Amino acid sequence: MTVRTPTVWLSRRYEFFASHRLHSPAMTDAENLATYGKCNNPHGHGHNYEVELTVRGAVDPVTGRVVDLAALDRLAEEQILAPFRYRNLNEEVAAFQTTVPTTENLGAEVDRRLREAWPKTFPGSGPRLEKVRIWETERNICEIAQ
Amino acid sequence: MVISKKVEFSASHVCRSSQLTDSENERVYGAAANPLGHGHNYVVEVAIEGDPDPVTGMILDLKRLKEILDEKVLCVYDHRLLNREVSPFDRVVPTVENIAIDIWNRIAPSIKGRARLYSVRVQETSDLSVEYRGAE
Repeated sequence: MTVRTPTVWLSRRYEFFASHRLHSPAMTDAENLATYGKCNNPHGHGHNYEVELTVRGAVDPVTGRVVDLAALDRLAEEQILAPFRYRNLNEEVAAFQTTVPTTENLGAEVDRRLREAWPKTFPGSGPRLEKVRIWETERNICEIAQ
Repeated sequence: MVISKKVEFSASHVCRSSQLTDSENERVYGAAANPLGHGHNYVVEVAIEGDPDPVTGMILDLKRLKEILDEKVLCVYDHRLLNREVSPFDRVVPTVENIAIDIWNRIAPSIKGRARLYSVRVQETSDLSVEYRGAE
């Protein structure tokens, strides 16, 4: 039997809690309220965010793993969880001083941070980050596909 | 069109490779390397692709799919120690990746007619799942 290295997609989920306020300086107060509704509350509010990373790659014939989960967890911790956990995203994350921390922009920031740090953690032809999904609530989910 | 069906089984496993040292095994698999084993409630979602039959409106009779899953997967995997009782895990580490591949290989030959096996997704825990879509 020939040794095959099949491709699989592995998905790993993480959770963090953070607060935010949706308000754009490019719009009037009335427009902000009309656009964001209760998410425009000046005092902010928070969510239990969930982030799912989908990694694509070949299964290592020795370990049976597509990705080193400990390394993936470390990367998520360093790039996403530690900087975002228990933070006010508008006040404490640089990207959200210039963009509104909607689920879309938060997902894009998560994706950007991971892709920037990815080659150092998984060099060469190792596992690829295929997709980032972020849940703001059970009903609001944003997906950033490669 | 893709239709999917979910089934569950419970099993134990040990994630250790005989080709790695003890410390390598612990680094790669963490707590899952415990030689005494541990277990999970696995959720398997099998997706079938095809066009519905114009008469029955079905891609594949889902009762038949359930029979295939019962016979080829659940009867083999449920309440077993995978390393000892399920081939090929006497030779291959029963990671969730390899479980998804093995389930695909077990059921693919039975999916016939207008239906084609599209993907096998296996969820090991609420924060870890794998999807396999066959050899490329």
